[in-house]
Amino acid sequence: MASGLMRRLAFWRPQRDVLPFTVLFKKFQSILERNNLILELMADMGDKLGGEYVFDSHYLVEVSEKLGDHVFKLISDYSILNQHQNADLFLAFERIRFAIQEELAGHRILTAGEPILDMAAIGHEQSELVGAKMATLGDIRNRLELAAPDGFVITTRTFFDFFQRNNLFARTEAAEQYWRDQDLDALRRLAEEMQQRILAATLPRRLGQRILAAFDDLARRQGQRRLLVALRSSAWGEDGGSSFAGQYQSVLNVGRDRLIDAYRRVVASAYSFETWQYRLSKGFHESETAMAVGCQVVIEGPASGVLHTYAPHRADGAMLVNASWGLCAPIVQGDQPADTMVLGRKPPYPLLDLAIADKPRQLVPAADGGTEWQAVPGHLQRAASMTPEQMATLARASMRIERYYKRPQEIEWTFGPGGTLTILQSRPLRLQEEAAVPGRELVEATRDAEIVFSGRGLVVQQGIAVGRVHRVDNDEDLAAFPYGAILLSRYTSPRYAAVMPIARGIITDVGSHTGHMATLAREYRLPTLVNTEVATSLLRTGDEITLDATQNIVYRGIIVALNHFQLIEEEVFEDSYEYRLLGRLLKCISPLHLLDPQSEGFTPAACRTYHDITRFIHEKAVEELIHLSEKQGARHLSAPKRLETGLPLGLMVIDGGGGTTCAPESPTLTVEQIACLPLRELLQGMAGMGMWCTEPVAVDLGSFMSSFTRTVPASLSGPGAIGRNLAVVLAHYMNINMRLGYHFTIIDAYLAEAVNDNSIYFRFLGGVTGFIRRSRRVAFIAKVLARYDFRVEVHGDLVVGRLKKLSLPRMVQRMRMLGGLIGYTRQLDVRMHADSDIDHHVAHFLQVMQEQERTGG
Amino acid sequence: MTTATDGAAAPLRILILDDEPIVCKRLKPAFQKMGHEVETFTDSNAALARLREARFDVVVTDLKMEGADGMQILNGAKDSAADTQVIVITGFATLETAKESYRKGAFDFIAKPFKLRDILDCVKRIEDKRRGLPTEAER
Repeated sequence: MASGLMRRLAFWRPQRDVLPFTVLFKKFQSILERNNLILELMADMGDKLGGEYVFDSHYLVEVSEKLGDHVFKLISDYSILNQHQNADLFLAFERIRFAIQEELAGHRILTAGEPILDMAAIGHEQSELVGAKMATLGDIRNRLELAAPDGFVITTRTFFDFFQRNNLFARTEAAEQYWRDQDLDALRRLAEEMQQRILAATLPRRLGQRILAAFDDLARRQGQRRLLVALRSSAWGEDGGSSFAGQYQSVLNVGRDRLIDAYRRVVASAYSFETWQYRLSKGFHESETAMAVGCQVVIEGPASGVLHTYAPHRADGAMLVNASWGLCAPIVQGDQPADTMVLGRKPPYPLLDLAIADKPRQLVPAADGGTEWQAVPGHLQRAASMTPEQMATLARASMRIERYYKRPQEIEWTFGPGGTLTILQSRPLRLQEEAAVPGRELVEATRDAEIVFSGRGLVVQQGIAVGRVHRVDNDEDLAAFPYGAILLSRYTSPRYAAVMPIARGIITDVGSHTGHMATLAREYRLPTLVNTEVATSLLRTGDEITLDATQNIVYRGIIVALNHFQLIEEEVFEDSYEYRLLGRLLKCISPLHLLDPQSEGFTPAACRTYHDITRFIHEKAVEELIHLSEKQGARHLSAPKRLETGLPLGLMVIDGGGGTTCAPESPTLTVEQIACLPLRELLQGMAGMGMWCTEPVAVDLGSFMSSFTRTVPASLSGPGAIGRNLAVVLAHYMNINMRLGYHFTIIDAYLAEAVNDNSIYFRFLGGVTGFIRRSRRVAFIAKVLARYDFRVEVHGDLVVGRLKKLSLPRMVQRMRMLGGLIGYTRQLDVRMHADSDIDHHVAHFLQVMQEQERTGG
Repeated sequence: MTTATDGAAAPLRILILDDEPIVCKRLKPAFQKMGHEVETFTDSNAALARLREARFDVVVTDLKMEGADGMQILNGAKDSAADTQVIVITGFATLETAKESYRKGAFDFIAKPFKLRDILDCVKRIEDKRRGLPTEAER
């Protein structure tokens, strides 16, 4: 198609210093192609988060380079198109590329890390910066939406700055040699020296000020003038494969004046002889030592304790709770009497065993900082420290944490003053039995189990789920979703987010890797299998099943061994360095911040991700092409013409030759003057199919209008302001870029008698609003395109359809269909009330199309 | 409805070699879950030494590594036991490397990144093949 254009445009000879339109249009096409490649690569990277793929760091390096290369060339192509240097865009690109390279090189802490991070901004992606312990609390609070103490983290960035400023790393390497030589006396002397130097070292002023400022912010949030906090270690490797349990120091109940001092004490605890020895014995290198420190509000509850989500030594399928009055610390130490409860792991978490201890005293925060022992009132000493309701609440929250981390957990908790369950800490529980190799019972259990189906569907999020099926067809089903069930549905829908915190898994008949529900399921790490085609026909509400979303198998009944195996796997994929790195890379790549082209923030300088740059350039490239032809048209190209039509398209047409029949200098164009075959058929499809505005929109006219009023006034307000909708046409070729509201449609088509040259490329990219309904629209478009023989790919909001080498009448039929589709989908958002509407609309659309064909419309 | 596997297949002995630990960590539990015995290596010379002293039914190897590369592993595996099936996995997949792998007797050639399911299916095919030809090794 491009070559056809080149042949036609070869008649134009450019004047000096002015690039021929052919060159510019070729650049424009190259921008579109690259734009697409970039979006596909991004989607591809996103798919890798689900756990279905095995990838390594080589892949991450390669795909990042490829992506960077495309974005760079995209800016270069755009620079030729708009004939500017676009320094701002290149700068934005360099910023992002640098951040990505730093991530890949593992240098991010020192160059990109924040010295302080608020709890609200923390998750597992930052575990290098905030340490595993605080990253876990961040997930618990921000992702699982359970209560955790408010506060902030003094990150490893601060640790490194502090150490480098004071030259504290100078002697640490020696420890490895001492360990190899087993010279423990030397190690002990080094440890003492290190601790003294740390306690005496000066924190850089700027850092000290930031820590105190964060403390003051926290005090304001808490509404306390004399806030006391707990400082807790959160070191690299702590709470990971090695527990480091109790190795590092926590300082409880610290006021502002002692804050920096307490920080130094916690950091120094990383170099105590015992800790250092432990670390070396576990094979840690000195370069792997870094300490973040959590600074948390002290939660003073009447009762607190520790829960193990898995206690096979007590009973099968049991969890174990130790609880007492007052603060949690003595129970963690294990040197004070505590109540012991054994609970079932499955709802309603029955109490299997209860032993109440005599609890004469409790640890409480002292008024002037620190902690103190206090006598427990007589009537409480032999009373249970938890109510049955509290046990159930705690059990439920704990299982949620275990499911998220796919590991048995050891959880420190307290019921705060208002009775709210607060999670103080959660770390993986190392099981005694260490049965890392699955026994024959696993193989036998899966061999003997009835398979409902296997080898079907796409894994969106890997994992094992056991529970009862609950089928969801409508909002009522969703509202009635029981705790701990596995969601079964025909379609994927982001509305399921509402039950994700209480669901065990998701299975659907239809769906793709990408899309909003997939993103959310990964966020919740909910084992999810989509596109099984058969699930709803084989499973019913109430069926007990085991979903193995690593091998695409659904078993009938509950296979405890399979679930157990997952809990003792050596490493959880989501904890791997590569997974976390991919998550951080995607943060530099995927999120879209430039949403509204008409807002003031739509600038190159505001681009924070590759996606932003891509979006910006696409928008501007379309404008640029119109602008260029306006500027140069008088010399060697006809001016862009505004199409006069009843449809609110705001379409500008650039004729590359033979595409129109009106006078070259005419500023407007009627539908009858279009000679370009693809555009003529497309417009006929739009207007003639009766799909543009026929059915009155019964509801929500406001939102219906808002989807295109943003374009319409601009395109009616005068040629200078004419925005974004552009068609470049030849007799047989059309390239159209249409933005209706926030949604972009691109069609690139060549239609002629010679079958081999015929092709249609259709791309639809959704915008930013109407989250749920938009994904239904994507599903609708994909289905319709597939019915018309398009090769369809769906990546999130992006639908791409390709069609080649059909006879002219068939190509014409499909161009008309696309016209109808654009008209139909334009108002579809407001009508898609349920997922079942998708099929209804597909059927309706196809029916209308068939009627039109019969009547020769 | 069918059951998971027909009959009691003997577990396979599988050696996994990839210089990136993440690949070993992902593959090991997946094969174990199928009931196989798994050893993993990130150092190709150590893997080669292990191949000389023990017999494996399946070897999964990366292609481009420090020390001995995947082709050497392929040769080494075939030398020590001709019926060992080798699956080559690589992030540098080209038509040439694929051809060479097959020519040297690789059972399959899989480009990284790959779906876990693809390699599990591949091992399953090896299992089926072995069951179909039980006497091949004994003869």
